[in-house]
Amino acid sequence: MDNQGLKASSDIWVFAEQKNKRLAGVVYELLAPGRRLSDKLGGSLASVLIGYDVSDLAEELLACGVDVVYKVDAPPLAHYNSWLYPRILEKLVKENPPNSLLIGATYAGMSLAPALAARLGVGCSAHCVNLDVDDHGNLLQYVPGFGGSLMAIIISPYSRPQIATIKQGVFTKTESKPGIKKGMIREVAFEFTGPIPVKVLEIKQEKHAGMPLEKAKVVVAGGAGVGSKEGWAKIEELAALMGGAVGATRPAVDEGWAKESQMIGQSGKTVRPELYIGVGISGDIQHTVGIQDAQKIVAINNNPKAPIFKMADYGIVGDYKEIVPLLIEAIAQEKN
Amino acid sequence: MKPLHIIVCVKPVPDFRSPVEFDQKTKTVKRGNVATVINPLDKNALEAALQLKESFGGKVTALSMAPPFAESVLREVLAFGADEAFLLSDPAFAGSDTLATAYVLAQGVKKIRDFDLVITGAASTDGNTAQVGPQVAEHLGLPHASFVTQVKRHSEHSLELTLKTEEGTILAEIDLPALITVSREINEPRTLGLFGIAAAAAKPLHILGSSDLEVDPERVGEKGSPTRIADIREVSFARKSELHEGTPEAISLLVKKFREWGVI
Amino acid sequence: MDFSFTQEQELLQKGVREFAEKVVAPRVQEMEETKNAPVDIYKAMGQNGFFAVDIPKKYGGLEMGALARVIILEEISRVSAAVGMATQVFYLGIAPFLEAASEEQKQKYLPSLAKGEKLATVAVTEASGGSDPTGIVTEAKKEGDNYILNGRKIFITNSHEADIITVVARTSQDPLQFSAFIVEKGMPGFKPGRKENKMGFHGCTTGELIFENCIVPVENLIGKEGDGLKIALKAISETGRCGMAGVALGILESCLEEAVKFANERILGGKPISVHQAIQARIADIRIALESSRLLTYRAAWLKEKGMRCDVEFAIAKYYSTEAAVQCAKKTVDIYGGYGVMMEFAAQRLYRDAQLLIPSAGTSDIQMIVIARDSLKKGKK
Repeated sequence: MDNQGLKASSDIWVFAEQKNKRLAGVVYELLAPGRRLSDKLGGSLASVLIGYDVSDLAEELLACGVDVVYKVDAPPLAHYNSWLYPRILEKLVKENPPNSLLIGATYAGMSLAPALAARLGVGCSAHCVNLDVDDHGNLLQYVPGFGGSLMAIIISPYSRPQIATIKQGVFTKTESKPGIKKGMIREVAFEFTGPIPVKVLEIKQEKHAGMPLEKAKVVVAGGAGVGSKEGWAKIEELAALMGGAVGATRPAVDEGWAKESQMIGQSGKTVRPELYIGVGISGDIQHTVGIQDAQKIVAINNNPKAPIFKMADYGIVGDYKEIVPLLIEAIAQEKN
Repeated sequence: MKPLHIIVCVKPVPDFRSPVEFDQKTKTVKRGNVATVINPLDKNALEAALQLKESFGGKVTALSMAPPFAESVLREVLAFGADEAFLLSDPAFAGSDTLATAYVLAQGVKKIRDFDLVITGAASTDGNTAQVGPQVAEHLGLPHASFVTQVKRHSEHSLELTLKTEEGTILAEIDLPALITVSREINEPRTLGLFGIAAAAAKPLHILGSSDLEVDPERVGEKGSPTRIADIREVSFARKSELHEGTPEAISLLVKKFREWGVI
Repeated sequence: MDFSFTQEQELLQKGVREFAEKVVAPRVQEMEETKNAPVDIYKAMGQNGFFAVDIPKKYGGLEMGALARVIILEEISRVSAAVGMATQVFYLGIAPFLEAASEEQKQKYLPSLAKGEKLATVAVTEASGGSDPTGIVTEAKKEGDNYILNGRKIFITNSHEADIITVVARTSQDPLQFSAFIVEKGMPGFKPGRKENKMGFHGCTTGELIFENCIVPVENLIGKEGDGLKIALKAISETGRCGMAGVALGILESCLEEAVKFANERILGGKPISVHQAIQARIADIRIALESSRLLTYRAAWLKEKGMRCDVEFAIAKYYSTEAAVQCAKKTVDIYGGYGVMMEFAAQRLYRDAQLLIPSAGTSDIQMIVIARDSLKKGKK
């Protein structure tokens, strides 16, 4: 492929996703790597804020140390719109192309990023867990995958800007400090005419039952090795006894034992509990990328060669159907 | 309401139950010995299409970009109830990233023509980028909605959709023609029935190459793919591990550790 | 010689496996405990076309042939031999309609059998004999436009679930003269009796059928008076034996899977037990038994599809695969050691189910008689 796309600056842009007049958590997570990359490139860190009545959020971004906030503020933009947002961003990017655009891998981000990339004809990576730049200004996009313990580094050497979606929960949040404000807000007019074929009718908040996985002190997770719905009940029993939450690998979700909201890993959640217990989980990187920051990792698996044992603090080789009931009994006794 | 012609994009993927091997030299997934199955979320997409057809009449056309061996996967899609299938297959398509894949699929959709809706799974189990759907929509100039968990006919020319968000759901309306990508929650895909299997053999399955489609050779395959895999690295999350056999002693020791770590 | 499946057969195998794992597997535990027949599963199988497989297209069937039937039985029985057994006997119940019924009878019964709206079985065995027909005492007396049936049938698979039953009864004083009648559920004077309590096939009903002045219209006679035994024996010796072999294949496949899984997972002395030669020898035996049973059964089914004589081939396949299933189920239980006899593991179920393969559609002794008789006859020529 020949040099394509736009002549880019050395700036890094972070898409500032907002909902109900609050910035999405992942936005705070993207600011630190964004700053690190822009410093390395010698450019500045900018943020794109699209919404309605979001001046406070623009101030908030400045308080987090952003150099420039591009703000597009209009009533039709109150909620993410898969027709309008990619078009607005396309226009902004073409006017002042950054080196790279970082977008959180939220549901909205996963709609926006590929659509924008297609409109611009540039490369886009998904669910990055780490970022860097090389000497040519290429964004090194670390994406776990392909089974086993392999991490792919994706680049888009011939197209600018580079677009990456970044998995939620991998970077530390930047805290806002109202004193440090040095950047500026650039208001961009919303100029759009024509029919809008996608309309938001209603937003429904859902109360999540049980302990949220990301906040649990103890996470007990099960994988394909659990083997059955009956076996899964044992995982739930252990988690309940320890006051923890239940997590799952993708195969366990595919089998229908656990809900998608319980999935940990590349396409699921990242957890940082004090204790993670993996049951019947072999330890593919798609899952382990979401547990590597657990303070303690315990693994129960019948295959002594399961890769998860290498990253576990404590491993038990054997059939979980025997071990988990014994463990439940022992904990119950210890508690009394 | 008028019948709907629905195109379902289907990706043949390696069966997740078989171990995936990676070729360090070519930096691609080795597919030789791995069973090929319909990407699970594409089964949900197909089911959604079949249900809409059952409600409003019309036609379901399956579309796939894959090597010729994927013909059997498309035959299976026909056995599930699709009426016609198109397999876009050409050595020139090899090495396509999401952007190039979406371009080829979009050209396939243009070839099929006269459609009301394109449905695809939100993501595939192998690449898991969730990008191809929205990118096909952009190549076709269609509105799109991702991670749909419910679809209803809103009017003659629009659908009412429930979309997943981090906090709950969004109720949205989308004008037809449109592209939607679906989540697992949308339905429980049917199992293959024998009546469908028997009918599949006689249904039309077309295999089209570059010359049958209007594709710009600069926009397909590696040439048309802006992303590259620069490197593959082994990652190690290794810790200082102690490994025990599943004896009662090992379990009491673990409970002691729990105390030490302050988790019970 | 072509040993590969057609694309249609491959899809069939995939579809039935998915059905078995999704619909049947979650119910196995419940069937083991309650021993109740899962009629809703039978209905779902019917809707999915499972019973249409061998019925001609003009009666709403699929005409996929005998091998397709074996594939279905193998895949269902891999998950539940009980549901496999029920399925095989539904096929047996359809066989007399395919082989011997009149055009009117075919048109009347086959479409609803193809859709699974009606389920079928065959009733030959009585307390005083089955394979020995002289022991059959149920009689049918012609009175005007009806036959009046009196007697009791025992050990009838699907006795309580079948809607349409081919019943063999005496119509003359000749000890070897029988006729076959179509009896429908709800006919006056017919009712199912008690259910047997079996060591295996939990979830597949075996029971009694009671005929007390049961009135059957003359048009329900299959073939002519006196054809009854021939009709029943053809169904049992081809469709029945084929079916039992198919169920045995499923059990053998399950034995291999369970044995391999446990041998790899069970750690003793820091190593999986699969490293031991004694375990490996058993696994090799099970694999050999599975593959050879498959070849025998598939070939016999192929002969059936070609319209060639296949009764002895099915006797060989039935004998070999069911005996192999019994032996391999024991080997599987042996590999499991103490776990082999625990109810929460599948091994013991395979062991109990396998033995039930032997008496149905003729015991191993009967198959040997059939096989020996044919061999001796050929030797004479």
